[in-house]
Amino acid sequence: MITVDRLTKTYGGFTAVDDVSFACQPGRVTGFLGPNGAGKTTTMRVMVGLTPATHGQVTIGGLKYHDIPNPGRHVGSLLDASAQHAGRTGREILTLGAQTMGLPKDRVDEMLALVGLTETEAKRRLRNYSLGMRQRLGIAHALLGDPAVLILDEPANGLDPAGIRWMRGLLKGYADRGGTVLLSSHLLHEVEQIADEMILIGHGRIVAQGDRNTLLSNAEGATTTLVTSLDNQTFSEALTKAGYVVDPVGEGLRVHATSEQVGRAALEAGAVLTDLRSGGAGLEDLFLELTSTTQRDAVPGGPVHEHMPALPPMPPVDSPTAPTGGPHA
Amino acid sequence: MSTASMVPPATLDVASTPRTPFVRLVQVEWRKMVDTRSGFWLLTITAGLLALVMALIVLVVGLNDFQVDARGISQGMTIPVSLLLPVFAILIVTSEWSQRTALTSFTLEPHRSRVVLAKLVAVTTLAVCTIAVAFVLGALTNVLCAAVTGNPLEWNLDGSELVWLVIQQMLFFAMGFAFGMLLLNTPGAIAIYYVIALMLPLMVWGTLYAIFDWAKDVLPWVDLGFAMAPLSTGADPLGRPVDVEAVTYVQTAFTALVWVGVPVALGMWRILRAEVK
Ligand SMILES: Nc1ncnc2c1ncn2[C@@H]1O[C@H](COP(=O)(O)OP(=O)(O)OP(=O)(O)O)[C@@H](O)[C@H]1O
Ligand SMILES: [Mg+2]
Repeated sequence: MITVDRLTKTYGGFTAVDDVSFACQPGRVTGFLGPNGAGKTTTMRVMVGLTPATHGQVTIGGLKYHDIPNPGRHVGSLLDASAQHAGRTGREILTLGAQTMGLPKDRVDEMLALVGLTETEAKRRLRNYSLGMRQRLGIAHALLGDPAVLILDEPANGLDPAGIRWMRGLLKGYADRGGTVLLSSHLLHEVEQIADEMILIGHGRIVAQGDRNTLLSNAEGATTTLVTSLDNQTFSEALTKAGYVVDPVGEGLRVHATSEQVGRAALEAGAVLTDLRSGGAGLEDLFLELTSTTQRDAVPGGPVHEHMPALPPMPPVDSPTAPTGGPHA
Repeated sequence: MSTASMVPPATLDVASTPRTPFVRLVQVEWRKMVDTRSGFWLLTITAGLLALVMALIVLVVGLNDFQVDARGISQGMTIPVSLLLPVFAILIVTSEWSQRTALTSFTLEPHRSRVVLAKLVAVTTLAVCTIAVAFVLGALTNVLCAAVTGNPLEWNLDGSELVWLVIQQMLFFAMGFAFGMLLLNTPGAIAIYYVIALMLPLMVWGTLYAIFDWAKDVLPWVDLGFAMAPLSTGADPLGRPVDVEAVTYVQTAFTALVWVGVPVALGMWRILRAEVK
């Protein structure tokens, strides 16, 4: 439904989006993942014609956005929930949208009810809205025209846990009814739960794409296990002999292998384990590995686990060693 | 989501949604103009100033038993109109950028020139209404003055001058719109508008015109108000009655092109290509 075809966007000498191609299918939720500044928002802005592409193009349902008549009825977008007149009430903002799209007035009430904004809240001016209320209003605005395609930039931003769960259900339901949903995020676990398909972007380039299992199978090399035994020294030697890479971490060891492999190695070596657990989600590591090359990302200490050492410097994303996803399924 | 079939189509069914009618865009722009506090206060202040000018004229005339004619009144009433209407014209464009609502406006109507045109139609309608109100109030002032002083009621207004006065107001107003489009920034556009439309003519051009002979030849090619003075007031900028010559029309067209046509064209070019953030 959404087809991004060799899209490039440069600002002066800086390439924000670099030869990006992917497609979002109807009936599926597509997650668009990448760290800060990866080019997610820029790509989405090109989709709805707010940013001109330098090369390449985006079509939605075979049409360029510019050629869709009354596009709000077909494509709902939320790019920046704060980009509304601070002096207008929530209700007025939705009313203007509904009027432009030629929708009946009661559609506004429906949408306000849907996103859980009360009558009094709807009468408040946007400048007095909380972050989450703005986000809810933005989602309501995107849904106004009952579109077949939803393009949402960090829709969970500022939502409370109940709101996030509600949104997950909403987007799933939308896709189940045949809608196309593209949502961006930098939080993997947020997207992992709803996306049927994930696009990973780093430094303006797609570094991997596919469903969860495809990505995980690519990520196998990144899986690690944290283990502690009564005699780490001996067990470490046994593991190394068995061909696993082992790093001492805190009180225990980090092994580049699955928990099962480590468990079996312990059985063979007769080692007594006091702790055995997964060394972080494989996807999470994959995500970080694929997308982090800047100083900004190299957080000292390790963000995921207390056992984790400082991340070693990663190869640049667009270096030849960086794994790339297969063709789109 | 019109389909209930198992395999959702990968194309959009756009046959059911004709493109947004222009009239609807104008209605939306009209609504945007008056649904905020700034819009409301600007309207209120304009109305208040019109009433104030009217009251002042009646008061002065009443106290001094001073003869005022319809021509004088019409020129008095243009002051609030020419001061505040262009601010409306500037705001309707620039507030989309300062408040970042252009994101929504251009997403719902990606043909940006239609949105800009709808704005122009909406704000011009407002300008015409305001000028009509000013005209009615001016006529009322004339009647009141005659009643207060007991002088005979006089309608010495030249029809052609009145028409040109309205055209001049509309051109200045369009100039505000054009500066808004060009700068996409409220304070900047308002400042430049006031400098070019009010301060320069009053403080610089007026002085030059009074002192130097060359200025009398040059300034009507530079300033819209100086170019149009013979048409809208029947006098040169110093108040000496003059006849309208063919060159006056050329000067009017030329200054209108420079101060309205060129900025509109550049502004449109900018808006059509701008990245909306
Ligand atoms: N107008 C511009 N001029 C120069 N650089 C720009 C411009 N717009 C965006 N960029 C740059 O393009 C890159 C991509 O930005 P983008 O907003 O798409 O990132 P993102 O993936 O949405 O990040 P985040 O997760 O932080 O929202 C950034 O480095 C940004 O600074
Ligand atoms: Mg972003």
